[in-house]
Amino acid sequence: MQRNQTSGQARILSISLSSHGFGYAIMERGSRLVGYGNVVIKKNKNARVMVHIEKIITRYQPDVLALHNVTAKGTYRHLRVKKLHRRVLALAGKRKIKVVKLTNRELRSALLGDERGTKHEMAEMLAKQFPDELMSRLPPERIFYDSEDARMDIFDAVGLVTALQSRHQANAPSTNLTNASS
Amino acid sequence: MASLPNYLLTHRKRLSLSQEEVGFLIGAKGSGKESMVSREERFDRESSLKTAIAYELIYNKPLRELFAGLYEEVERDVAERARLLGHRIAGKANPKREEVIKSIVSKTTV
Repeated sequence: MQRNQTSGQARILSISLSSHGFGYAIMERGSRLVGYGNVVIKKNKNARVMVHIEKIITRYQPDVLALHNVTAKGTYRHLRVKKLHRRVLALAGKRKIKVVKLTNRELRSALLGDERGTKHEMAEMLAKQFPDELMSRLPPERIFYDSEDARMDIFDAVGLVTALQSRHQANAPSTNLTNASS
Repeated sequence: MASLPNYLLTHRKRLSLSQEEVGFLIGAKGSGKESMVSREERFDRESSLKTAIAYELIYNKPLRELFAGLYEEVERDVAERARLLGHRIAGKANPKREEVIKSIVSKTTV
């Protein structure tokens, strides 16, 4: 497949790694949400997540991979997730897929216009933007003593691709396509 | 960017239908209803013409959109063959045929 590095015309895969497993979303031609979902894995998480991600990459042949920037200041991720993140980067490098990393702040500013917006606000906004796809999957707002609903991984992933698209449409010069090895 | 072979999964999820339900609607028989739909959605199997028409009716989208990648592939192949045919019949006086071939080439290369 001819690879087009202009994110407005490229097929973008976003992956949001979490303690449950991961969420993913695929967007193409502007803002067409082609695929999305989440995978919950109980045992041997990293190895099994990698198998799933490889299958998704093979199936959708993305031009760009969007990930959370797990090393950004103020971002906390478990060591296992950080290791997994490096494995995903290595896989993207092997498949010659461009990688874009977004911080939580960038994500919130792009989607909500407010760096201090909450995850649930983002999820509600995305559910309104893609009602057919996401409205039925919107989990109830989390109460502080509950752990996060695994379905939020879908919204994290859709948020990543949407933020990347809106950045591209606004022609923000800061969208940084980096090599997967970085 | 080349399109995916098909967008069946995208449209099924949008309508909140299960693979089993779609399998029933397209007339798949036996216990492998879901697996047939699943293989077609994963691009492991190409749909028959009857099934493709059933998908068009279920998802209310044209075949060109549902099977965008396949459509593009066929379009390229037809254009290539039309070009070959154009060379073959060049000089043989039949303006109507030449016009038809030219129109196929122009339609498929837009």
